[in-house]
Amino acid sequence: MKKRNVVLVVAACVSLLSLCPPLATAQTSSAEEIIRRSHLAEYYPGDDMKARVLMRLVSKEGKERLREFTMLRKDLQEGGEQRYFIYFHRPPDVREMTFMVWKYPQKNADRWLFIPALKLVRRIAADDKRSSFVGSDFSYEDVSGRSVEEDTHRLLREEALGGKEAYVIESVPKNLAGSDFGRKVAWIDKRALIPLKEEYFDKRGDLGKVFSADEVKEIQGFWTITKRTMQDVQTGHRTEAIFQDVRYNLGLPESLFSERYLRNPPPEAIR
Amino acid sequence: MGTSHFVIPTAVLLFLAVGAPVESFELPVHGFVEVAGGMRLGNDPVQPKDAVLGEGRVQLQYAHEWEKGPKVFVKADFLGDAANEALRAELREGYLDYAPMANLELRLGRQILTWGTGDFLFINDIFPKDYISFFIGRQPQYLKLPSDAAKVSLFLPRVSLDLVAIPSFTPDNVLTGERLSFFDGLSNRIVGKDANLTLTKPKRIPGNTEFAGRLSGEVGSYELALYGFKGFFKSPLGVKDLARPELFYPELAVYGASVRGPALEGIGNLEVGYSDSLDDRAGANPLVENSSVKYLLGYERQLWTDFTLGGQYYVEQMLHFRRFEASRPAGGAHRDEFRHLLTLRLTQLLRHQTVELSLFVFYSPSDEDFYFRPAVSYKLTDQLTAVMGANIFGGRRASTAFGQLDRNDNIYLRLTYSF
Repeated sequence: MKKRNVVLVVAACVSLLSLCPPLATAQTSSAEEIIRRSHLAEYYPGDDMKARVLMRLVSKEGKERLREFTMLRKDLQEGGEQRYFIYFHRPPDVREMTFMVWKYPQKNADRWLFIPALKLVRRIAADDKRSSFVGSDFSYEDVSGRSVEEDTHRLLREEALGGKEAYVIESVPKNLAGSDFGRKVAWIDKRALIPLKEEYFDKRGDLGKVFSADEVKEIQGFWTITKRTMQDVQTGHRTEAIFQDVRYNLGLPESLFSERYLRNPPPEAIR
Repeated sequence: MGTSHFVIPTAVLLFLAVGAPVESFELPVHGFVEVAGGMRLGNDPVQPKDAVLGEGRVQLQYAHEWEKGPKVFVKADFLGDAANEALRAELREGYLDYAPMANLELRLGRQILTWGTGDFLFINDIFPKDYISFFIGRQPQYLKLPSDAAKVSLFLPRVSLDLVAIPSFTPDNVLTGERLSFFDGLSNRIVGKDANLTLTKPKRIPGNTEFAGRLSGEVGSYELALYGFKGFFKSPLGVKDLARPELFYPELAVYGASVRGPALEGIGNLEVGYSDSLDDRAGANPLVENSSVKYLLGYERQLWTDFTLGGQYYVEQMLHFRRFEASRPAGGAHRDEFRHLLTLRLTQLLRHQTVELSLFVFYSPSDEDFYFRPAVSYKLTDQLTAVMGANIFGGRRASTAFGQLDRNDNIYLRLTYSF
């Protein structure tokens, strides 16, 4: 009950703030509040979402690998529990594989993978923070979000990036041992509230990975990063992700995110 | 079978050679082309050949789905088998899916059936397995054999029910001396090509239809399931007559349960099953496998980036053990009341998950035998994967599950092009 109240208060604040952006800009509340709103803008737009994602994994030598999948998301509460469903189209050895995540704000996500050749549903014991998503430079956490409460946030400055006014916020994990990075600096677009760029520093303080939002579009009233890159500065490897056919508020039923459809996804859902 | 089967793989290879560079082209048919070879390490006097695996294989699959209607799925393998000097076509899967109601689904035809929580250990999954493929280094998918069956699945808000009827019996592909030598309990020695066994399958009559069912549901993050099976042992665990080497598949019923979910920062699972040997419920007949209870405890956890550790503890308790001992013929192989088995799985992914180093170990402290499955897999491109691995067996006694395979240690290499 208590948690729900907090969520409601936050949701109310967010909707109030988004109604009057100039006021928000002037007051720039706390860094944590900006990150909280940014988290909602990036990972919770709409009640649900569907996209076809093309990932290009490019090595330092320029060797390319492709991952193509359909991603479905449904929010059970704004800022709270979420369901994800991923169906792979490419590469051919993982074609028709499906992946389901039940994500909780306060505990580890539940994850299932269906391997069609074996007709087997496996439970995945992966750690969000340390696992690369399908071999890309994105971690699971980059794909589905990291809890705002896991880091301490500080507003460093406000500056323009690529012609857009942005808050520059530093986030330091409260539990360094349980995190893959030592410090993060994010440029948050003041208007759209989504990150334009993020720099991840390793625990020695060296720059590790750099995220950039390369193309941002407004889709059904939601600012959406349709093209993004995560570059590993230390290895020279990078991953570009293009989100195509993004649609929100499709009215996806909660029952879609179940073992039944993991084994046998409905064709209209994964097209 | 006919050489005509080889025309298709050749055509596919030619098609691939021409069509593969066209990246965006959507093929109507998917699958893979594979060459695989495996060799025995060392010499086995009862096996004339050193090659345990030597084959070229094409797998093709095709699906068609009508909008809001039924779906057909076909997956077939075409292979040239140099180790057995044969050309074969195998229908791996061929079924029709139909949903007469929103929460009811039917799957009719040849299908791969599997359930339960074990990792390469099966308690409530009494569906046919191909242990030969497993032991000689074929892809893991070939451990599962298809069944010709009808499956009904009912989905209710909190629980799902699967019911399967299998009218025609498919046995496990077990050790028969072909490719791999094994311990023959009747002659009390290791046999290979010289094995002389007759395996008699249950008659194909309606009364011999096998039934399996699963009731499953979730409580929070935990998956619970109840299982039932009535049919036959999938391995020939009955002897018709001690004087003749004729084995059969005794009647079997299995009842069990499992739970799987998060535990200690990883995933844990627990499964139990009671195997009721219907042809020898009293356990007094030494020619038929006794009833047993099987227990499994498993755990898997990611320890660091792209490294996963898994372990299982499995116990098989023979029921009516005193009667088994009392009725055991003189010179018959020794067995324990409790068979303990431990497994270990280590997996490390490297280079953006394109390289996989893995090791799976079976070790039985009671049988004092082991089986190591190390493998290295490398994805050269998104299409092309090379896998090198080994199957290493050993034990104190020739009569145990892995001890009997001591002379079958082998290494293998597979090259697979997927499309």
